[in-house]
Amino acid sequence: MTVKDSAVAVNSSPRIGRPQTSRAAWIASLALGAALLLLPFVLRLDGKPHADWQQFLGRFHPLAVHFPIALLVLVPTLEIAGCFRPALRESAGFVLRLAFLSCLGALTLGYLLAYGSGDAGPGVTRHMWGGIALSIGVMLCLAARALRIAASLRLVYPATLCCVLLLMTWTAHQGGSLTHGDNYLTQYMPAAMKRWFPATAQPLNGTNAASFYTAHIHPIFDANCVACHGESKTMGGLRLDSYAMLMRGGKDGAVIAPGHPETSLLLQRVTLPTSHKLFMPAEGRPPLKPEEIAWIRAWVLRGASPSETKVAGVVIAEDHPRDPPLQPVGDYSAMMAEIKQMQSGQGAKLLQVSSKPSDGLILNTADVPSSFGDAQLAQFQKFAPFIVEAELGRTAVTDASFDTLSKFTHLRALHLEETAVTGNGLAKLAALSQLTYLNLSGTRVTAAAAAALDAQKNLLHVYLYNTPAQPANTTNTANTTDAMQPIARKTP
Amino acid sequence: MKQHPLCTDTEHEHGPSVQDLPIPAALKREWAALETRRRFLGRTGKVLGWAALASLMGERMLTGIAHASDAKGAPGAITKDDLKLPHFAPKAKRAIYLFMSGGPPQIDLLDHKPNLAALYDTDIPASVRGAQQLTGMTAGQARFPIAPSHWAFQRYGKTGTWVSDLLPYTARMVDDLAIIKSTNTDAINHEPAIMLMNTGNMNAGKPCLGSWLSYGLGSMNDNLPRFMVLQTRTNPKENNQPVSSRLWSSGYLSSEHAGAGLRSGGDPVLYLSNPDGVDREVRRKMLDAVEEINHQTLAELGDPETNARIAQYEMAYRMQASVPELADLSKEPQSTWDLYGPDAKEPGTFAYNCLLARRMAERGVRFTQIYKRGWDVHDNVTGILPMICGEVDRGCYALVTDLKRRGLLDDTLVIWAGEFGRTVYSQGGLSATNYGRDHHPRCFTTWMTGGGVKTGITYGETDDYSYNVVKDPVPVRDFNATILHFLGIDHNKLTYKFQGLDQKLTGTTPASVVTGLLA
Repeated sequence: MTVKDSAVAVNSSPRIGRPQTSRAAWIASLALGAALLLLPFVLRLDGKPHADWQQFLGRFHPLAVHFPIALLVLVPTLEIAGCFRPALRESAGFVLRLAFLSCLGALTLGYLLAYGSGDAGPGVTRHMWGGIALSIGVMLCLAARALRIAASLRLVYPATLCCVLLLMTWTAHQGGSLTHGDNYLTQYMPAAMKRWFPATAQPLNGTNAASFYTAHIHPIFDANCVACHGESKTMGGLRLDSYAMLMRGGKDGAVIAPGHPETSLLLQRVTLPTSHKLFMPAEGRPPLKPEEIAWIRAWVLRGASPSETKVAGVVIAEDHPRDPPLQPVGDYSAMMAEIKQMQSGQGAKLLQVSSKPSDGLILNTADVPSSFGDAQLAQFQKFAPFIVEAELGRTAVTDASFDTLSKFTHLRALHLEETAVTGNGLAKLAALSQLTYLNLSGTRVTAAAAAALDAQKNLLHVYLYNTPAQPANTTNTANTTDAMQPIARKTP
Repeated sequence: MKQHPLCTDTEHEHGPSVQDLPIPAALKREWAALETRRRFLGRTGKVLGWAALASLMGERMLTGIAHASDAKGAPGAITKDDLKLPHFAPKAKRAIYLFMSGGPPQIDLLDHKPNLAALYDTDIPASVRGAQQLTGMTAGQARFPIAPSHWAFQRYGKTGTWVSDLLPYTARMVDDLAIIKSTNTDAINHEPAIMLMNTGNMNAGKPCLGSWLSYGLGSMNDNLPRFMVLQTRTNPKENNQPVSSRLWSSGYLSSEHAGAGLRSGGDPVLYLSNPDGVDREVRRKMLDAVEEINHQTLAELGDPETNARIAQYEMAYRMQASVPELADLSKEPQSTWDLYGPDAKEPGTFAYNCLLARRMAERGVRFTQIYKRGWDVHDNVTGILPMICGEVDRGCYALVTDLKRRGLLDDTLVIWAGEFGRTVYSQGGLSATNYGRDHHPRCFTTWMTGGGVKTGITYGETDDYSYNVVKDPVPVRDFNATILHFLGIDHNKLTYKFQGLDQKLTGTTPASVVTGLLA
């Protein structure tokens, strides 16, 4: 009942004409608006922390912001629903007032947070002005709602409300970016969608695209640090979003001392006990991984160069070329009857990679290796688009099969070990852009024939064991043994 | 004959009821009570009849579930298609499990504890041991003196991994391994521990890992069993714990999923060769006749085990051709013998079994398990351990290296594990030159490599005494869940309904895949 009563009171006030109240309300609104606009100039966000109580209260800001957001979203809902049930429209006024009050509350807490903790940066500024503008906007909404009885001003209220909602979305996004980092929403976006959001140019000027810094050090900061030490939020005056900024340091001076990891402030802070007040990443974010810290340490020890491509003493598994992501094949479900028939027979089979048809089929010949030749392979050509792996090891296929195989366009792995192939025609496999694995062990393939494979960049796993093309150092095991001597000796 | 009113069933009687008779009210009440009891008993009888009918119809018709069998199985049987496996594209198509029965001492092999040398013959702190219940073999000991490893450790490979001097060959491949120092189990004695490792349950009767894989993933080569077990010939100087067929049993799964053992000497499979005077054609005719009789039995009794028997006869027939080819090592190039060493020429040795395992992997056997017994070093560690390591070390290295150079390691998972570890404190007397080690379930070291494994890492950490896990524990159920994951299986979805429960390898305690081991 109270809701309805107060809503009626608000709506009816202009109608019954109470000019004094109305005028006082207008004056108060103007004064409040001016005060809000002046606030950032009176209490400047100078990037220095202030009183602890301010931070204590301020940290309730992320909680409090949800009230105005929820209430503001409720207003248009109620207004529209009001078309069908007028009582709901009346409550919209009350909700809007609540939204205004919670806006002011959230703004106050937010300001306390920024002022108290010394947060500064373009992102903080944007978010701050967004919050102030939003509060004023909601106030205007209240006024417009009171005026909408006048026919000439009927559209002002919906228009204002729409603007306020857009402004709220933008402000909330700014706030979210401060908490979670700029790339929070786009990080795991499907590649197709990412095209619509061109990545912000990485400020990596002066660094080499293939350098150790770009490849390994910067991504660590990007993933763990720049949410607070970046362009939009610059805690402690430190930015880690570019090499230049990293080397410039923060308000406590340089954080990297090239050649001296032990005196580098950054390394000291990330290696403190996690419970330590100064531990980074702060606020309960996950600590850096041991190998990441090791990479930073090794990189600093070697001079923290922006362009050096190799850092001595660091082996990173990711340096090895990685297999390209698997491409889905088409759906073979329509041919399932034929596939099943083959599986129950005694000949070569098509096995499913997984229960997902898009993972493809494996051509399996293990039951009938000796009777499976070029002619049998050709019979599988109609399944070619779905076959991702052909197990032809120990079969009777010959070089003539390369023609057929070149039509297996989705082939990722090809086993030809212990067959009669000599490699004549290997070049035809160049048509298989997704081929990453080729096993020619125990065949008569020569080095000259195998050279045709060099052009295929994706072909990362080629096996030539026990062939004339076998690289010399693997012909006998003694050599490999020598390469694996202990790297350090220590007697316990 | 005229019936007494009390003896008639009013349900089928028309006309006046007992209540209408001019008899005393007390009698009427008594009749009402009797009538109720009679009806109760009558209905109970009918319920029993329904229950009997239900059991006659069998679980199959009521729930649509029957004992697992192959695709040719009885109607309603679960086929491979129903399982929708693999659940996702696997990294490994097959696995080889090197099972170190007896419990290898992690402190002497891979879990390097340099600080222990200074603590020689001091008692292990009670805080480390905690309230743990020990085995009967050491529970009565007055002291628990720390026995540092007798062997020196050195760093190997690009990863600089510490390996004991006992394992010079394993040391060469540390960069290819994921060494798990934090494996731990719930059982402290051999039988329950080895059952737990293999079947996910300490009690016998559950299917083992290989049977689950055979059941879930099916065959890649119909001429060979999907799951093969190779036992290494025992060395009488070692303390050999029994290894029984319970460990490769199919439990409640159809018996065709049980592991098929190859003998370590003589004929790999007994009675596989045709007897004198019986050629392959005669054998075929005999099998056809037996199959027909078996099909009649199946139609008559509907026991799915009959199906399993038919499948096994057929498998044995095909194995008559495939096993001799598998076990024929005459075409192996010299480089094989250089790698595996001279032991590999002798059937029954660990190296020989490793070579066979590689040949099985090439031929599409889904799961091969090699058992090596003798790791149960309760005493005379310095005397026995070099012997066991000498038998095992080179074979492990040769197998991994051979798979790698032949391009098989990309899609083969290799696992090295025992059922538990061994204590840091000495069992029995500790001397400057010798000591013994008791069973230790709280931590033991295992390794994996191959398809999908993140190699060149050490996973998990133990405390300074190699007694408790301090970081990233891997309980047996997680270990098994991870193995299934490499093979494209969600361990929570590979289930089999038995005794009213969706049974699975990892048991009812929630298990999780160890993501730190995934490449």
